Amino acid sequence: MDEPGSLHLSKFTEVDRLIHEPARLAVMALLYVVESADFTFLMNQTGLSWGNLSTHMTRLEEAGYIKVEKSFKGRRPNTSLSLTDGGRTAFQEYRQHMQQMLNELPE
Amino acid sequence: MLSTIDLKQIERKAYRSTYQDGLWDIYMGMIVVLMGLFLYHPESGYSAINIIVMVLLLSLAYGLFWAGKKYITLPRMGQVRFGPVRQQRKKTMAIILGIIVLIQVLFVGLTAIGRYYPQVGGRLFGGNDAGLTVVAAIASLFVGVPMLFIAYMNDFPRGYYIVVMMSLAVFLMILTNQLLYPAVLGILIIIPGVVLLINFLKKYPLHQRDETHG
Repeated sequence: MDEPGSLHLSKFTEVDRLIHEPARLAVMALLYVVESADFTFLMNQTGLSWGNLSTHMTRLEEAGYIKVEKSFKGRRPNTSLSLTDGGRTAFQEYRQHMQQMLNELPE
Repeated sequence: MLSTIDLKQIERKAYRSTYQDGLWDIYMGMIVVLMGLFLYHPESGYSAINIIVMVLLLSLAYGLFWAGKKYITLPRMGQVRFGPVRQQRKKTMAIILGIIVLIQVLFVGLTAIGRYYPQVGGRLFGGNDAGLTVVAAIASLFVGVPMLFIAYMNDFPRGYYIVVMMSLAVFLMILTNQLLYPAVLGILIIIPGVVLLINFLKKYPLHQRDETHG
């Protein structure tokens, strides 16, 4: 039987890798604290390039973590992003998981 | 790694970034300058033209602010909708500001009564010089308190500087009847705003972008 507080290395492999990638983590963290943001705002806040953000956005959308809504503001296209309920839950679980793992690491 | 991620800090940084264009500062500075026109008493007597000119110029200032937000800030910075806590804060702010305005209206009403019954007003405000100082102090509080509240509720640290300048402008304007004070103090609010706007334009250029996203 394991001692309480002992570190299971297998936990590291259980981390949600889709969120764990730094660029996607930044996108998820920002969308977690706001209701929605458009593509330009996310790009400015995360410092990601247009193409980079677009790629990560597609992956998160395919995973069902974010909702992407395209519309027109005047004549300009506008892409609005927000976390889905599933994405919000996944991010909360990821945080708890990481916090727990880091807390269990020895000094 | 993750233990250092402070979500509140991320939200606050995102929220405060919406004020980094300096447009609020420029707009508030213009209001201070224009307030001078409203409060100024020419020797020939107070005229309705003061009010008309001020309202027209205030509308122009607001138009410039709105156009700046729409055509300068939003295309560069993008749009964001903050969470329920911020939205609730805005509702609370609107309610409390409404109450403050009601109190102010009541106070102005009482002042009008004091004017029609000088014996009451005299008892309240004392002699002429002391009376003017009291009026100037009250007027600066009229402007300062709601602005202080707005700065606090909007998490807008530069707002505190604007509050001090604005209140001082109203106080000195009423006390001295010199347009110079609101003009100088207004410009002291506008200058940091212009510097911020220039930095904002440098930091956030318009993207030559793929038109599939906006």
